Amino acid sequence: MITKKLIDKIEGEACVYFDIKDRVVDFATIAFPNFRGIQEILKGKNALDALVITPRVCGICGHAHLMATVRAIEDAYKNGGYEIVLNQKIQKIREFTLIMETIQNHLKWIYLTIMPELAQLNKSTKILTPLKSAFGSSIAARAIATFAGQWPHSSYMLPGGITCDPTNIDALKAKSYVDELTSFFEKESLGIGIEEFLAFESCKDFKNMDSDISFIEEELIKAGMNKKGFSHDRFIVLGNHSYTNPSKINQTRIYCADAMCVEDIDSYSPNEKTYAKNAVYSGSYYEAGSLARQMSLNVPIVKNMHRRYKDSAYSRVMARIFELAYLLKESNSILDDIDISEASFNAPQHINAITATGIGVVEAPRGPLVHKVSLEKGVIKEYKIITPTQFNIGSSTKSDPTPAQKSMIGVSKEDALFIFRTFDVCSVCTTH
Amino acid sequence: MHSKQDKKPTLIWFQGLTCNGNTHSFFNLHNLENLLNKFEILYHPSLESTKNIDEITACIFTCDIFIFEGTYDPLMKRNDVLVSEILNYYAKDANYIIAAGTCASFGGMFKASAPERNSGLIFNEADHEGPIIKYKHKVINISGCPIHPEWLGYTLNMVLSKKELEVDKLHRPIELFSNLSHHGCTRNEYFEWKVDSDNFGEKEGCLYYKQGCRAPMTHASCNKILWNEVSSKTRVGTPCFGCTEADFPRQSLYSTKTNMSIPQDMPIGVPKRSYLTLAGIAKTFSIKRLEGKLIDYKKTH
Ligand code: SF4
Repeated sequence: MITKKLIDKIEGEACVYFDIKDRVVDFATIAFPNFRGIQEILKGKNALDALVITPRVCGICGHAHLMATVRAIEDAYKNGGYEIVLNQKIQKIREFTLIMETIQNHLKWIYLTIMPELAQLNKSTKILTPLKSAFGSSIAARAIATFAGQWPHSSYMLPGGITCDPTNIDALKAKSYVDELTSFFEKESLGIGIEEFLAFESCKDFKNMDSDISFIEEELIKAGMNKKGFSHDRFIVLGNHSYTNPSKINQTRIYCADAMCVEDIDSYSPNEKTYAKNAVYSGSYYEAGSLARQMSLNVPIVKNMHRRYKDSAYSRVMARIFELAYLLKESNSILDDIDISEASFNAPQHINAITATGIGVVEAPRGPLVHKVSLEKGVIKEYKIITPTQFNIGSSTKSDPTPAQKSMIGVSKEDALFIFRTFDVCSVCTTH
Repeated sequence: MHSKQDKKPTLIWFQGLTCNGNTHSFFNLHNLENLLNKFEILYHPSLESTKNIDEITACIFTCDIFIFEGTYDPLMKRNDVLVSEILNYYAKDANYIIAAGTCASFGGMFKASAPERNSGLIFNEADHEGPIIKYKHKVINISGCPIHPEWLGYTLNMVLSKKELEVDKLHRPIELFSNLSHHGCTRNEYFEWKVDSDNFGEKEGCLYYKQGCRAPMTHASCNKILWNEVSSKTRVGTPCFGCTEADFPRQSLYSTKTNMSIPQDMPIGVPKRSYLTLAGIAKTFSIKRLEGKLIDYKKTH
C-alpha cells in the first residue's frame, strides 16, 4: 500500500510516497509541490536583474545563486569575446561570503533538523537547543553583511567584481566574526578546539569528545545509521573553489568532471504532480554535497569514515559536520591575504554588447548549483537552473533510483524519514 | 504565581509561495530566543512547534498572532487544503495578522509566478484587494525582501506590550516606514552635492544618478537600523532596489532611468523644479574633497 507523508521542517516541503512491504520501505517516490517559475520570470529581463532575482530562489542559499548568476554572465562575456579577469581580492571576498553562507546552512541543519529528528528516532530525552544555531548563523550572516551589505538576499556581486570597497577595518571585522563563530562552534558544538577536531583521522577519535557533536555521532551509531542509508557510492563535485576539487568519484576513485555533462530529465512521480526534475551526470545519478566534496579532497577522516561505513547516513551527516569545521578554517585563511588596495570592480563592456551563452557553476551548501544563461544584446532569452537537491532527491523508477530513493529502500519508514533528511532537502531551490 | 493573564500569546507562522528568506532573515535577530520564549509557537515551518502541519491544516483551533510569509496564490494548497481556507480561518480570530515580507504584503517577487491571480494579503501591489481584505484592520504589513529581522522583532514586541501600532496607508508601521532608506546612507554628502559614483566598487559617490539607487523613493529604515547590525546595501555600494515598496521588483535595477541626464524619478515629495534648481547650482561647484578618493592609500608598489 502506498502511504503519503508530507515532510516539513526542511527548506520548504516535500511529499514522500512510501510503498511499504513487510514493514520496510520497498520503494518511495518524491514530489515537490509549489512551483514559482523563476526561469520564466527571468526571460526578457536585463541580464543584470538576474543578480537580484535569482538569490530569491532560496532564502538559505541565495548567495550561492548570486554567485552562480555572476559566473554565468561572466562566462557569457567571455564567450561573447570580452573576457573578464578578476583579481585576487574580488575572488577571495566572493569566496569568503559564499563559505559563510554554507557554514550558517550547516549549523542550522545540525540543530534544527538532525538533532531533533535523531532524538525523536531514538526517543532520547536530551534537552535540545535548536535556537543556538540561529545565534551562530547570525554571526556568519554578519560576516557576509560586512562585504555584501546584508544577508539574506544580497546582490553585491556584478560581472567584473563586487560593489563594496572595503577597508582593513572591514576585513578585520569580518575576521573577528570568524573568530567569534569559531569559538562559538568550539564551545557550543565540539567541546574541543577546532584544530584538535580537524586533526582527527579516524571515527574512533569522535569518542574523545563530550558535546553536541559527539551526541549526534553516538546517536547515529545507536540508530544503526552507519549500516543504513546507503546510496550509489558515486559522488559529484562541480563547483570550482579554493576548497573543492571538481570531480566525479566512483567509490574511492576520483575522475575529472565537467558541468557540461549535467542534464535535467523528467522525474517519475506517479502519485502527485511534482515540479522538480532530476539532475543526472552523463545519464547517471550521483550524490552531491559535503560528503562528495570531502571525498574529493581526500580528507583523512572522511576517507576513514567511508572505508568503515561507506556512503551511509552516518557518513553523510558526519562528513557535513566535519566540513563545517574545515570551512571555518578555510575562511580564516582567505581573509588573511586580502589586499584591500586592489580594485573592487573593473567595468566590463556594457551588457548590451553581449549576445552569447554562459554557464555558472558553484558548490552551494548541498552540492553543485548550475546556472545557464543565454543572452541577446544583454537581455535574457533563456535561463536554466539546476540545483543540488535535484541531484540528490530526484524521483525516478525502481530500476534506476536516485540517491535519496536508493538510500531509503529496505529500512523502516521511521528510519527512512530520518535518512531522507540527511541529504538536507531544499524544496524551495528545487521548485524554482 | 501564574494567573490567566500569564498565558503566552499563541503564534502561527504559515507560508504561501516563498523562498523562506523571511524565516532565515528573522533568525538573525539578536535575542531571538528570548523573544520567541514569550510566545507559544503553535506552528513554524522550521522551528519546534506544539502542533504539527496536519493539525494546523485541519483548522481546529485558533491563534492570537498569525504571521504569513510569501505570496498568496488562490490555487495553492498545503497538505491538500487550500491556503485561502487556512488563511481565512485563522485570520477570523487572530488579534494580529502580520504579513512578513514584500510577497505577503504586496505580492512581491512571486506575484510574477502567476500575475493574474497572485497577490499579497490585503494588497495587490498598491491596490487594496486580497484574500483577507475583510480583516484588513488587523493586518500589519512589514514589507522588505526579505523582512528586516529587527522590524519584525519590533512589531512583535509592540504587540506583546499592547502598545498601539500606527500604520501608514499601506498598513506598514509608521515608526519603521516613515524614513526613506536614503536616510543615514554614508553617501549622503555626495547626494547633496550631486557627485555621482563613477562606477561600482567605490566608497565615493552617490548611486542615485547612474547606478539605479531607489533609496530616495523608498520608505524603509535600512540605513538607520542596519542589516545584520552591520551594514546596508548602499553602504557597500549596491543600489537600493526599492524592495519595501508595492512595485517591487522593478526592472533594470542597476541603472538609473534618466531624462536629459536627470534622474526620471525624484526623491519623494521633492518637486522636479526645486531639484533641478538645486542640482544646477550644486553642479557648478567643483569640490576637490568630494571628487577625489576618500582614502588615499600611499602605494609603496
Ligand atoms: S547611494 Fe542611494 S541611499 Fe546613498 S545617498 Fe545616494 S541615493 Fe541616498
